[in-house]
Amino acid sequence: MAEKKQYSIKHTDKETLARWLKLMLVGRAIDDRAPNYLKQAIGWSYHAPYAGHDGIQLAIGQVFDRENDHLFPYYRDMLTAHSAGITAEELILNGISKDTDVAGGGRHMSNHFAKPEWNIHNTSSCTGNHTQHAAGLARALKKYKFPGVVISSQGESSVSEGYVYEAINGASNERLPVIFVFQDNGYGISVPKADQTANRKVADNFSGFKYLKIYHCNGKDVFDSMNTMAEAKQYVIDHETPVIVQANCIRIHSHSNSDRHELYRDDYELNYVQEYDPLAKFRRLLLRYERFTEEEIEALENEAKEEVKAAHKAAMSAPDPDPDSIHDFVVPEPYISEKYPEGLHQHEGEPKKLIEALNETLKAEFRHNPDTYIWGQDIAYKEKGGIFNVTKGMQQEFGKERVFNAPIAEDYIVGTANGMSRFNDKLRIVVEGAEFADYFWPAMEQLVETSHDYWRTKGQFSPNITIRLASGGYIGGGLYHSQTIEGALTTFPGIRVVYPSYADDAAGLLRTSIRSRGTTLFLEPKALYNAPKTATPIPDDFEVPFGKARIRREGTDLSIITYGNTTPMCVELADQFREEGKAELEVLDLRSLSPLDTEAILRTVKKTGKVLVVHEDKVFGGFGGEVAAWIMEEAFEYLDGPVKRVGSAFTPVGFSRILEKAILPDIKRIESAVSELLKY
Amino acid sequence: MKKTAIIYSFNTKKTAKIAERIKEAFNDDQVEMVNAEDITEEKFLAYDQIIMGVSTWFDGELPNHWDEFVPALEEMDLKGKKIALFGLGDQVGYPENFLDGLGIMAEVLEAQGAELVGFTPVEGYTFERSRARRGDEFLGLAIDYENQGSMNKERVAAWVDQLRKSFN
Repeated sequence: MAEKKQYSIKHTDKETLARWLKLMLVGRAIDDRAPNYLKQAIGWSYHAPYAGHDGIQLAIGQVFDRENDHLFPYYRDMLTAHSAGITAEELILNGISKDTDVAGGGRHMSNHFAKPEWNIHNTSSCTGNHTQHAAGLARALKKYKFPGVVISSQGESSVSEGYVYEAINGASNERLPVIFVFQDNGYGISVPKADQTANRKVADNFSGFKYLKIYHCNGKDVFDSMNTMAEAKQYVIDHETPVIVQANCIRIHSHSNSDRHELYRDDYELNYVQEYDPLAKFRRLLLRYERFTEEEIEALENEAKEEVKAAHKAAMSAPDPDPDSIHDFVVPEPYISEKYPEGLHQHEGEPKKLIEALNETLKAEFRHNPDTYIWGQDIAYKEKGGIFNVTKGMQQEFGKERVFNAPIAEDYIVGTANGMSRFNDKLRIVVEGAEFADYFWPAMEQLVETSHDYWRTKGQFSPNITIRLASGGYIGGGLYHSQTIEGALTTFPGIRVVYPSYADDAAGLLRTSIRSRGTTLFLEPKALYNAPKTATPIPDDFEVPFGKARIRREGTDLSIITYGNTTPMCVELADQFREEGKAELEVLDLRSLSPLDTEAILRTVKKTGKVLVVHEDKVFGGFGGEVAAWIMEEAFEYLDGPVKRVGSAFTPVGFSRILEKAILPDIKRIESAVSELLKY
Repeated sequence: MKKTAIIYSFNTKKTAKIAERIKEAFNDDQVEMVNAEDITEEKFLAYDQIIMGVSTWFDGELPNHWDEFVPALEEMDLKGKKIALFGLGDQVGYPENFLDGLGIMAEVLEAQGAELVGFTPVEGYTFERSRARRGDEFLGLAIDYENQGSMNKERVAAWVDQLRKSFN
């Protein structure tokens, strides 16, 4: 409950009351009407009615200032969106998935209201994961000393998600200007909140957090909600700390149109939630305290009806999405290299190791662009610069504002990168996604989210992030220290995946990743960080475009298509075969897995007619299956034998060196496969 | 005894039963039943001694009939009024906000100068938090139909005896 009562039924000016009532009436009219669109097979197949949340949703929208603030609504926030400025027509355009839907042209679910150009963000159906984006964006507001706050809104049940804890913990620790609103209607679909957490008011779970103020308010009451939200916002600004506002609401209807609440709510409950309808209460108060006459209210009700009618008519005649547009906005445009269009160079000089290449390129890019940031676990503390020293010296040169440690929360690392990049398209963020690639799994939720942000906003938001992951084995690291995970990572449209083997390619791809819009997974073969065999001369300004493979050895008898840790093995084998006069093997280093250089693959297949795909990852389910399948479909007539694959066994990677050796591919296995294939 | 009002919602069942029990216990023609559903400033101010039935809704809120009257109460001068509150709550189901409605109303009334009477000991109840608690007392009579319904009669009788001493 707010301490000061800025708003009250007796003293708030009539014009304001009228504006609020009109917003509430229009919102409710659309909320009530939404199911009809589904019944008439027009659309809006997902509708989560907000009725019962009217007070808090009106208040969120009213305190939101689109010039300075950012708003992350959730799927039940129709009135929040309308109160924040999204028009009735825009609500309906989203509901019925029209091309002119300002959230993203019908690409995201209905009832996911957004307007990115006004800082009303397009949020996930993975409810509550935008708390991490809110924290990340607030980090940017704080770093750039930008006035304004971030408002994140969600239902009380989604607070059970671990990523919400991470976000609130981070916001508290970093003292970020975020208002986390929990709209508590007592249910997560049919699950009563008692099944979520022990405290009846979930906000109280956070009562021990430092730098965090918790407010409780009646979300059914316009004035209590307005007073609380106004005070909460001022508190965030004055104290530079986050707050939680828990608003007690009711859900008058079912969770959504796929739910039947009469299956789990008795008549008594169904009756009293109707009695406590916030809109009816507001109307009663206006009459009781003689702020409006019945006639004045009826006039506003008629205006609202007309507005919704006109909005409906306009939305119905709006264009539908074009099916030919599905490939638009999958991946944001990459940086174009004018000097190195093929990602090749003739530079001569002292060879540098892969780790030096990464460290020097990071530093060069941080000098080049002052809006670059890097964070991750263990990344910068005194003389330490990352578990493998890739970021050594960066904090000393660029300071703690740009180079800093993250908590052990991989999802938060990626989620706040997504959020911070929303502040400004010029920002470029690099994160160490996890200490080792196989610790990245907790962040998959945010990676998947990030993968479709650009597409589902129809190009309105590009998360500009490079996610570095120290990958692979051959170090005796065992589980969580030796897996390579590109087989899973390459399955997501919207994310680029690169996997260099040599120092020069690592430098060139890293530069391109950082300068590009969009998200790139930058996989580093950590066994090669200090390997002399992959050290190379590197031009200072080297760039490697995405989707450009590189022939590391020319050959005519057989093509080995590879990447990562196995590339130098294949090169060594090719050299050995040449020296021994056995065969001329061509080694094609893919460098980029997504996008994939299919032209280079086709060229090498045509040249040799025999293909061996080699990678460190498992053969079963590994990325090589995609390469082999593509060759079979597109280049079958050029083949003189089956496409063979060499990779690791379909097992975890063991810790014992004996087990690791038995599992991971090596030159011997590659040689055996090559010899077999050469017989065709 | 001076004219005294018992104000509660006539639409309620349990609160109404307690209100009737209180009236019976007083056995006094000066005690009048007033419906909170249509309470007005004028009706409220017509009494110097008032007993209010205030239940707790949701996670510690006033029921609508009282909540919507609070803006009026907040601008009244209640000096010289003696007010006793009884509240219904569920100490097992809602131990975090047992009788909060009574507590909220007590705060509003006190802020306007009313003299609250009829405090009762918290002994005999088990709960975690209550806005109606001050020290070892509730700011009125605590009734728990759900869990201690058999004690209602005895509790009402004792409370009415106590009120007789506070009221004139």
